[in-house]
Amino acid sequence: MKRIMIDHEKCDGCKSCSIACMQAHRETEGTVYDLDLTDPQNESRNYILKDADGHYKPLFCRHCDEPKCAEACMSGALSKDPESGHVFYDETRCGSCFMCVMNCPYGVLKPDTVSRTKVIKCDFCVNAGGEPSCVAACPKQAIYVEEV
Amino acid sequence: MRYVIIGAGVAGIEAAKTIRKNDSAGEILLVSADTHVHSRCMLHKYIAGERDEQGLDFSERDFFEKYAVEWKKGVRVEKVCPDAKEIALEGGEKISYDKLLLAGGADSFIPPVGELRSASNVCGLRNLSDAQMIVKEAETAENVLVIGSGLVGLDAAYGLLERGKKITIVEMADQILPVQLDAHGAAAYQELFEKAGVRFVLGRKASEAVCEADGKIHKVILDNGDELACDLLIVAAGVRPALACLEGSGIECDRGVTVDASMKTSKEDIYAAGDITGLSGIWPNATDQGHVAGANMSGAASQYTDTYAVKNTINFFGLVTLCVGKIREEEGDQVQIKEDRTQYKRVILRDGKVEGVLLQGDISNAGIWQYLIKNKIQVDGIHKDIFDISYADFYQVKENGEYQWA
Amino acid sequence: MNECYGCNTCKSADKPLESFIAGLPMETSHHRVDSQSTKCGFGLQGVCCRLCANGPCRITPKSPRGICGANADTIVVRNLLRAVASGSGCYIHVVENTALNVKNIAKTKGEIKGVETLKRLADIFGIQESDVHKCAEAVADAVLKDLYLPEYEKMELTEKLSYGPRYEKWKELGILPGGAKSEVFHGVVKCSTNLNSDPVNMLLDCLKLGISTGIHGLVLTNLLNDVVLGEPEIRTAPVGLRVIDPDYINIMITGHQHSMFTFLQDRLIADDVKEKAKKAGAKGFKLVGCTCVGQDLQLRGAHYTEVFDGHAGNNYTSEAILATGGIDAVISEFNCTLPGIEPICDELKIKQICIDNVAKKANAELKEFDFENRAAVTEEIIDEIVEAYKARRGSVTMNLMKDHGNDNTLTGVSEVSLKKFLGGSWQPLIDLIVSGDIKGVAGVVGCSNLTAGGHDVLSVDLVKELIARDIIVLTAGCSSGGIENCGLMVPEAAKYAGPKLRAVCEKLGIPPVLNFGPCLAIGRLEIVATELAEALKVDLPQLPLVLSAAQWLEEQALADGCYGLALGLPLHLGLPPFVTGSPVAVQVLTEDMKKLTGGHVIINSDAKESADILEKIIEEKRQGLNI
Repeated sequence: MKRIMIDHEKCDGCKSCSIACMQAHRETEGTVYDLDLTDPQNESRNYILKDADGHYKPLFCRHCDEPKCAEACMSGALSKDPESGHVFYDETRCGSCFMCVMNCPYGVLKPDTVSRTKVIKCDFCVNAGGEPSCVAACPKQAIYVEEV
Repeated sequence: MRYVIIGAGVAGIEAAKTIRKNDSAGEILLVSADTHVHSRCMLHKYIAGERDEQGLDFSERDFFEKYAVEWKKGVRVEKVCPDAKEIALEGGEKISYDKLLLAGGADSFIPPVGELRSASNVCGLRNLSDAQMIVKEAETAENVLVIGSGLVGLDAAYGLLERGKKITIVEMADQILPVQLDAHGAAAYQELFEKAGVRFVLGRKASEAVCEADGKIHKVILDNGDELACDLLIVAAGVRPALACLEGSGIECDRGVTVDASMKTSKEDIYAAGDITGLSGIWPNATDQGHVAGANMSGAASQYTDTYAVKNTINFFGLVTLCVGKIREEEGDQVQIKEDRTQYKRVILRDGKVEGVLLQGDISNAGIWQYLIKNKIQVDGIHKDIFDISYADFYQVKENGEYQWA
Repeated sequence: MNECYGCNTCKSADKPLESFIAGLPMETSHHRVDSQSTKCGFGLQGVCCRLCANGPCRITPKSPRGICGANADTIVVRNLLRAVASGSGCYIHVVENTALNVKNIAKTKGEIKGVETLKRLADIFGIQESDVHKCAEAVADAVLKDLYLPEYEKMELTEKLSYGPRYEKWKELGILPGGAKSEVFHGVVKCSTNLNSDPVNMLLDCLKLGISTGIHGLVLTNLLNDVVLGEPEIRTAPVGLRVIDPDYINIMITGHQHSMFTFLQDRLIADDVKEKAKKAGAKGFKLVGCTCVGQDLQLRGAHYTEVFDGHAGNNYTSEAILATGGIDAVISEFNCTLPGIEPICDELKIKQICIDNVAKKANAELKEFDFENRAAVTEEIIDEIVEAYKARRGSVTMNLMKDHGNDNTLTGVSEVSLKKFLGGSWQPLIDLIVSGDIKGVAGVVGCSNLTAGGHDVLSVDLVKELIARDIIVLTAGCSSGGIENCGLMVPEAAKYAGPKLRAVCEKLGIPPVLNFGPCLAIGRLEIVATELAEALKVDLPQLPLVLSAAQWLEEQALADGCYGLALGLPLHLGLPPFVTGSPVAVQVLTEDMKKLTGGHVIINSDAKESADILEKIIEEKRQGLNI
């Protein structure tokens, strides 16, 4: 499977990945120039965290080999796709219980801010041909896709 | 090789899937009283009319064809006979097995109060059939009485609110959700339910309930003598592992079926997974147990090790809560609280480790708490506000790109 | 859940204020620090360039140059020069308005409260005029003339106001400024797209802007204000949120231009105006100090005891001051008037009036200061504030903080009042420095920000570390507001000082931290330093004197900082000014500057480490002087 690899030491915290993710998943048409950065509907699926020393630590869904989120899913909304290996989320099936949020050991998942009915989760930009927008946007190549 | 699985809950389904991955040729037969594969955690959506039976199905599309599993549905198992390596169904049919999985779940516990157990308008909320009965009774019922304000009791009320019923919930404890939340966190939900029209009677229990001529209970008398009128009674007072069919089988049981780490019972070739084991009532654990049992039944070694089960999430009216571990502090515990208009966060610490967490209002990226608590991770060395601790503080990436806890 | 807006507020050195803000039902800047905590590394290093349509270009290992070819050094220093030019423009705007106000007051035979200062300026400028009004007009004209010179003509007052050895050094380096306004223009042109790409050349411009900012923007603004508003007198005064008295109609003032309030201050205590307040149900009017103009009023508070209630807090206390509910109106004329006060003013029905359009707030009414029509405009402002008072009182909840701050902060310290306090000579101070009772002098100046450890955290911690090392601290700017609210400027604060400094303070009955007032008063510190150097017959870089803008915030602070470097002083900053992406900028600012002017930049965000470094510098300078 393809995975977004992370070289956290290269991360400069510019959040270009987050903006690219928001742009890739926005519901309205448009370009990054008119992406409403104040609209809570535009949520990034990746996060740049900082440790206690101020070092940047990119938090991206790993599409785990044994996904704990899918294990906790009581609706069948989350499942690991046997072909691509990616863990996909079917919003229409989701029961909004958020056990997946609790069960991801790395804290990648969150309920959507506006309605609290769906989970904000990386889809590997499957609708954009499976080329993650975040990776394309990283100016430091701190994230890159590799076959693992 | 013939695998027989009793129960179509997540443990049974997950086991079937795992067996098929390891054994493409074996015969897999799944027997269940349920006529639909359904998620018990979504029954309130059925009661509310938001979803139909198919909408509750958590399994993969075309699961039974895809994994070549034969399914005998709507049939109860009467008896398990380990010596003969067969099970007996209601009606007398006998099915032999090479490997058997007991994943029949649990039954609602109806306390022996008055005639609760015999009345025709009393049910639990465990199976789709319960939800179906509630929907049917709700067509005529005006007043609904729910006994118990745990997640199941509130689920029932939440679903019925959509149908415009007058709902009263009786709870023995002084607060709702007493197992999951502290009083402050519970009050937030109580307020939301009350705003929606639900009435709570706290610190009380039912002491008398008599069937009238129509075979139904129309009023319940509480331990203080108060009377509550009702047309429909939903009892949400917990569940008990469904062990009836194991009587006389010699399979060792305690609270539930006793299993080892490979989910094997005391009898050769018989495994158990899910609520029937009494190990936990939590979905991810049942999934894991089904997976482990299925693996061991089909020749792959696997162990059930991630047994931590004191965890839950709650979502009513868009107010989300995550609670893991200890809720009530003990002497010597350190409690830290942060609260504002959008969230209430509370953590219990002891000796520099997190023993329990409650996050209400915002549970974003909160998955690490379960890990911190169940693995007793030392956090006092991290120079951050406790609520700012994140995976960044434990960050490690494996060669294959997966994250890894140190 | 409770009513608090958010529980993730940043830390403050002022713990009672920190909990007050955490408990507020409205959002403040302290709430926003957390969600802004992941900073863009390119921005932090100053290597993001948006000067042309090819951008934004960012410097990375794979792209060491922008599309145009600009490298990190060019991009960084261009950005720095822009900031310094902009900051200089701010101070030049302030001195221009101040000089115009002095001129107008003089022309209309208004009150000249600071005759001594006027005489001092006239002497320096070489003006011989016995009539105070004519003299004041001539002084103001001389300042204005300098400000308006072209860039290619050097300003005349620079030499008159600067210390001889410094002036010679600046001349040698070719950084004597032309007309101060023109220098801003020159700086802005220089750093535009595809013009200058020479980082050292641009850094020299920063120094030149520092000199015009310092001498004209800082030194002269103070002195011109003293002429018309009165000279500082040492006294004690209350500070903190306690100064808000809800029985009065309270006006919070923010900005940097004290002379704009000359007329209003007097009107608010006139009987007919007080009558308006009484009719509305209040005892009268009070001005509540906030930001630098509040510091200015506090500094000259001896002349304004009736109308001025005291200084409540600095820039990042302004939201809390308003959230008390006790403020009825805000009159602002410059920074640091945070945009974040706007929603709070709306919610609490606080009238916002802006009297200088350069600082027009979105929801404020613009009533531009107009000297000719000052009487009419002032009455309009007063009437509107009375209306606001009537409309809001009773319907707005009070959330006062009666015990915040203290009642006896020492204030009114200036180059003149301090010398007077010492008996008319600097000798006693020099003696104490020579004897080692006072190891050295640190000017802890500039702003308050929320990111160097939190609100005033680094400033206050650093001050504590310095005084514990027997280094006396002189402050100017918003840092003063935080340090005074934390109780370091009351005489009892002597107990935080090292044994020698403590003894000195206790003997004199003064705190170990002396407050010179607004950031403009950095100019007063420079005068003190110059007079000490003169007395010792040395140049400024030889003095056991260090500067710290520990929590610098704004572009103005960068212009001030360049003045400090031009003076040849060691300058500590808590956070780097977005230059660390340029090896040349770092080398010049932190090392090579020592050879150019004698000054250099020290960047450190740890109070103890910073104090260690500054103490070591002071000790080296003492050795250099053989003391």
